[in-house]
Amino acid sequence: MSSEPTGTNIEGEAPDAEPVVETDEATLTEDAELERTLGLGGGLAIGIGTMIGAGIFVFPGLAGAEVGTAATASFAIGGLVALLVALPTSELATAMPKSGGGYYFVSRGLGTLAGTVIGLSLWLGLVFATAFYLVGLGFYALDALAQVGVTVGTSPGLIVSVIAVLAGVGFTVLNVTGTENAAKLQNGIVALLLSMLVVFLAFGMLDALGIVDAGTPPGEAQDVWSVVPIMSVAALVFTSYLGFAQVATVAGEMKNPGRNLPLAMIGSVLVVTVLYVLTIFVATSVFTQDGLAIAGETAMVEVGRELLGSPGALVIVVGGLLATMSSANASILSTSRAIYGVSKDALLPRWASRINLTYGTPHVALGLAGGPVIVLAATRQVQLLAEVASFLHLVMYGLMCVALVAIRRDRPDWYDPEFRVPGGAVIPVVGALASFGLIAFMDPLSIAIGLAVIVLTAGWYFYYARDVKLKGAL
Amino acid sequence: MTRVLVPVAILEGETVSAGLMDLLGTVDVTVLGYHVLPEQTPPDQARLQYEERATAALEDLTEEFRSAGGAADHRLVFTHDREQTVNRVADEVDARAFAISGVTGDVDRLLVSLSGDVAVDRVLDFVVEVVGDREVGVTLLLASTADGAADRLDAAAERLRGAGLSVETRLERDGSTFDALLDAVPDHDAVVMGESAPSLRSLVFGEEADRVASASVGPVLVVRADEPTDGDAG
Repeated sequence: MSSEPTGTNIEGEAPDAEPVVETDEATLTEDAELERTLGLGGGLAIGIGTMIGAGIFVFPGLAGAEVGTAATASFAIGGLVALLVALPTSELATAMPKSGGGYYFVSRGLGTLAGTVIGLSLWLGLVFATAFYLVGLGFYALDALAQVGVTVGTSPGLIVSVIAVLAGVGFTVLNVTGTENAAKLQNGIVALLLSMLVVFLAFGMLDALGIVDAGTPPGEAQDVWSVVPIMSVAALVFTSYLGFAQVATVAGEMKNPGRNLPLAMIGSVLVVTVLYVLTIFVATSVFTQDGLAIAGETAMVEVGRELLGSPGALVIVVGGLLATMSSANASILSTSRAIYGVSKDALLPRWASRINLTYGTPHVALGLAGGPVIVLAATRQVQLLAEVASFLHLVMYGLMCVALVAIRRDRPDWYDPEFRVPGGAVIPVVGALASFGLIAFMDPLSIAIGLAVIVLTAGWYFYYARDVKLKGAL
Repeated sequence: MTRVLVPVAILEGETVSAGLMDLLGTVDVTVLGYHVLPEQTPPDQARLQYEERATAALEDLTEEFRSAGGAADHRLVFTHDREQTVNRVADEVDARAFAISGVTGDVDRLLVSLSGDVAVDRVLDFVVEVVGDREVGVTLLLASTADGAADRLDAAAERLRGAGLSVETRLERDGSTFDALLDAVPDHDAVVMGESAPSLRSLVFGEEADRVASASVGPVLVVRADEPTDGDAG
């Protein structure tokens, strides 16, 4: 068949191209079946669980400090961009419900060079994102220590780094050795967080609108309603919207993918967008910009304290710990699937996806995820980590939209998505422009690091895998 | 032809005892080789690495089933959820029963439990078919405090005798059905029981059949409940 991948990498490994038949319950290969075990609830939990850690618990203080209540617009813009990409991603995912998500779509739609760049950038983008979540976790752990009366001496920053690194080591080891089913725990944590947030935000809204008075000072943030600052905050906080693409990385394991993948991706984006906008509104109603700036990454704890006293602060601290942990853990899982997708296609050595028989886990891929995460987490550069993660994801998002347009134009006979984006090419084109456009509003240093990663991954393609042909191969 | 599904954790070195293979010589068998993966591992990744080894082991096992008598084939599944996989494949191959492998020698005597809410007719039909014209004795066990339990037990025994089987009966009036079954297990080489609807108890303590299998060491054949009628019926 002409659409099969061909060629080998520098070590002579060829892409694994097993012809498969997809059903709603399993993937059938020639000699084996792969059970689909994730339901809609599990998919939503991955999407929402990855996202709310950042958007609710880490960014409100940073974003509110920049532009005040106008940050609600920044989050709304981020949500709109995410939605514009989630729709095309859903179509691609229902046509190619495979492990590897965005990498898979881009490599099949646009060829091996774009595929290699996106596959490796997805890995590294997830590494940056995971490091960012871990630093957030470190800040919340520091606050938790303060809550229980442990005061840290002169260098709280160092404590944050130490906690972030220890958590990174812990999650990596747990993922290599743990065979307990943590998915149910993750679902429970997400459900708990959502119900906590709904109550908290409902009360916060009543207070912000003046319906009840929790005695918060009349300290509304001064708003900066102008385009450039709002957009640059949107670029910063876009890390809060990376989770829906993580759903695509487990597409190969979703039951009834034609229905569940679009619902999980689009649904999780809609849910978190509403929550983010409300959270920012509450936070900027309670505090001035200066107040938010001082409180920084854990500003939400102070918001909770203003609204509900010490119990409110405690709830937010616990929620922040749980949310950042669940984000970090879900991201490490996605990272190892991203590495697997690339390694299966011979763009990384085959040994990168080895599984050990003792635990049945992909220890090499988990190590390739956890190792760099730990190094980056030690830097404690919240904004830089977040922006580089967003940069690498936005490049992938843009190219996924382009891939959709390209595949629709080529009409290969294997392309038969169950979900189709309405309106022809409008949404993917606008989605691509929005994704690339948002990058322009980032900090120059973040853009430089992101570009360096892209150049390195392209270099890897020319060195390692220039003979591999993936375009159009399913 | 009646088909029995035999799930085997193929990469963990689980095997099927010769006694169970002989017992199933009268029916068709589908050997379901499965490998359960933690959620960190995509099933496709495990397939890439283990497919050849697992298939080789499965083919050997299937060949042994064939030489024991019946027709046999195999399926290989990589999964995160064993129960979901067993149920799906059992539906797809239209299996009447599935086997929980255990240790046993030659099977001379079967313990057949009719206790609880099981489809007695299906269980009895299955027993008749498995035993065939072989010299395998059957003990029918009913643990029940209901009036008329003895009559039900006798009627079931008569039905098996009518099919040419040698049958004993055992009626337990007190204690739990589970304990009654375990008390009766010694002197028997394998257990046949019906699949009961998932209850709170089975959620808390695991499927009854699995508990019986682990407590009795020997193999357990679980006769599946009536499959729901297909959509084309309405």
